[in-house]
Amino acid sequence: MNEQKTSIAAAGKYLTFALALEEYGLPVLKVREIIKLMDITMVPQAPSHVKGVINLRGKVIPVIDLRLKFGLPVAEYTERTCIIVVEVELDSRRVMLGVIVDWVSEVLNISTDEIEETPDFGERFETHYMQGVAKIRGKVKILLDLDRILAADHAFTKAA
Amino acid sequence: MDSPRDQFIDGIERQLTRLACDVILDPTPAAVSAAIDALAQALASGDAAELASRIRDIAVTTDAQGLAPVCEALWREWIAEDEVLRDVVALSADAELSGMFVAEALDHLGTIEATLLQLEDTPDDKTLLNDVFRPFHTIKGNAGALGVTTVQALAHQVENLLDRCRSGQHRVGSAEVDVVLKAVDLITAMLIDLSARIAGKPGTPLRNDRLVLVAAVERIIARGPEEPTAQPQTDSLPLSPFVDGAQPIGSKRTDEPKRAAAVRADAGESQASVKVDTRKLDGLVDIVGELVILQSLIYEDPAVKSVSDERFTRNLAQLRRITTDLQRGAMSMRMVPIRQTFQKMARLVRDLSKQSGKQVELTLAGEDTELDRKVVEDINDPLMHMVRNSMDHGLESREGRRAAGKRATGQLSLRAFHQGGSIVIEIADDGAGLNTDRIVAKAIANGLIQPDSALAPADIHQLIFAPGFSTAEQVTEISGRGVGMDVVKRNIQALRGRIDIDTCNGRGATFTITLPLTMAILDGLLVTVGAERFVIPTFAIRESLRPIPSQIHTVQGSPRLIQVRDELLPLVWLSDLFNVSGAVSDPTQGTVVVLEEAGRRISLVVDALIGKQEVVVKSLGAALTGIHGVAGGAILGDGRIGLILDAHGIVKLMDAGALAAA
Repeated sequence: MNEQKTSIAAAGKYLTFALALEEYGLPVLKVREIIKLMDITMVPQAPSHVKGVINLRGKVIPVIDLRLKFGLPVAEYTERTCIIVVEVELDSRRVMLGVIVDWVSEVLNISTDEIEETPDFGERFETHYMQGVAKIRGKVKILLDLDRILAADHAFTKAA
Repeated sequence: MDSPRDQFIDGIERQLTRLACDVILDPTPAAVSAAIDALAQALASGDAAELASRIRDIAVTTDAQGLAPVCEALWREWIAEDEVLRDVVALSADAELSGMFVAEALDHLGTIEATLLQLEDTPDDKTLLNDVFRPFHTIKGNAGALGVTTVQALAHQVENLLDRCRSGQHRVGSAEVDVVLKAVDLITAMLIDLSARIAGKPGTPLRNDRLVLVAAVERIIARGPEEPTAQPQTDSLPLSPFVDGAQPIGSKRTDEPKRAAAVRADAGESQASVKVDTRKLDGLVDIVGELVILQSLIYEDPAVKSVSDERFTRNLAQLRRITTDLQRGAMSMRMVPIRQTFQKMARLVRDLSKQSGKQVELTLAGEDTELDRKVVEDINDPLMHMVRNSMDHGLESREGRRAAGKRATGQLSLRAFHQGGSIVIEIADDGAGLNTDRIVAKAIANGLIQPDSALAPADIHQLIFAPGFSTAEQVTEISGRGVGMDVVKRNIQALRGRIDIDTCNGRGATFTITLPLTMAILDGLLVTVGAERFVIPTFAIRESLRPIPSQIHTVQGSPRLIQVRDELLPLVWLSDLFNVSGAVSDPTQGTVVVLEEAGRRISLVVDALIGKQEVVVKSLGAALTGIHGVAGGAILGDGRIGLILDAHGIVKLMDAGALAAA
């Protein structure tokens, strides 16, 4: 992944959450709401990280498990597990999507000088949906570009 | 001197000289028409206004049979180059107003088109003529008010022609109807183009079409009333194309009457209805769907059921009734009559009839039959294809019909009506019918069937829906490009509909499309598989049963077939297809649902039936498209989602699975 391709995250408010003890951040503007884990209806032929669909007040929205998406170890869902409902862009249409995370932490104001480019990990890690990293109080938060995550996912539905 | 531009000017000059010579040597309207078309095309392909003005200067001096006004009109269109951009700016000023303008204009254009087709049959009907004129005038007026000059100019041009017809200076003939129809098409395209540009999408270049059409209208006006042996109205032809003293070209326009009185003459009729954004309507239907579900949740709640207060029970029942009424009302708002779609078909038949020389009498019935808005939109293409098909393959040529002892004029009918809980659309022709021998021969040639297979006539007819099937002896412009009936069938199935054929060799064919009343609600059977629940559409179900061991037959050691009455059907586990764990594997412990899809029957093994249920159909959304065997999601009584099965996809999945196993 070279520098030109990775656009760097903008300063602003980020919702941070935990996945396997790592901290991640999402632009608050993309977040619609945070809901408790609810019954998920499985959808056949979808890849394993797509857990299925839920009923969000009458709307059917897909839910993905970010642990599975990022290849992190599978964990039992707990009381703190929740679904962050985000609005992402797919083929220039806005779609709602639920992402399952271990727990949500806080909303942080991140300034430009706290954001750094995603380091080059070489071929071993997929970094194209990272928009940079922020160092806050000595801890690293990985800033995500969810549009890209879903765009990459879009391929799965055509597989079967 | 040899720059492309110089060459272009050179070419135009030669063109004009030749045009002038042609007109002198052969002063027939055809020669003039051809020359003017060539000129319009040449003009449209260049790109300098200066060039245009030069051509105009030359053209003015070659005033023969109204050529000057033509060139004048072309020139005006030419310098209107940037007008489209100006229109976009003008329309962008007020999104709501411009949206209304476009919607209203499209509405008017639809009416105009239908009226024109009637007018063509009764050209002397002044009322019909007025019915065409008025909406054109309205479009022109509204376009002018909003500053959409391109539309205004074109509408003005056509209105001019129509007004001459009204005042008796001109007679309505086939050429007039043709050109006004073309104008309807073009204005429609322009409006769509403008909307696209406002939305930031790339536009379609329509200037060329505009030039050609403007030339055509001017030519008709210049030519005057059509009479079979009409001579050009100029008494003497100029000896040289470059004579002086051309007529003042602006004069054609000065007699344009001001018709303020006609403005809004039709405004009074539309008082009874309100235009609503379809998204708002869909939103309403969605919310009402939620309300219905929530209402039934409350109704079924044990806590509520235990209340024995009479007043409470009565109020609850009342609430239930009102909710149902509300739902029905909301659904009905999405229903629109099929009239417009039928009118489009009438236009298509007219065009095809002209193109192919086949005379056709089209009968429409049941235009007021109401369908879900979405169905009306989606049925358009399949219907269009089937009409083409009937015109091309069904109806014979005039000679063919005479040889078969039929009237030279073919009969085509489109009918829509309600039947039970469905809508039926029928397309019938009195043409040659489906030729089973030819279909079989073709199917064998295409490898669709084995040469020795014995098929019932109904099965043979179904072959025309196979992908890549086409029996047209030659590929015609109208149809027969190998894409066709398979797409028609797929589209209709996507609407949860069915298509049947009834045909008699030599006497015609009737295609019957059966569609559900609404796309929003589906009658289904709720079943469980493992921890999951699925909704199977009732229309795909033949029957359901709890098999006894003697009905199950094993193949290579595992249960593969089930005997239902005298039929052996393949057994398919929904849990296998969808990878659901914890499901029943012994069919005698579960329930078998026999599905029928395109004449094929399969037995789907599920754990248990819960019961029949009406569900609101929801799409799984843009992120989850292309899931086979799933038509959507339904919110069930407990608020969870149950997937709705799609029989077509299930059969495909089964075939794919069988292939993978082999």
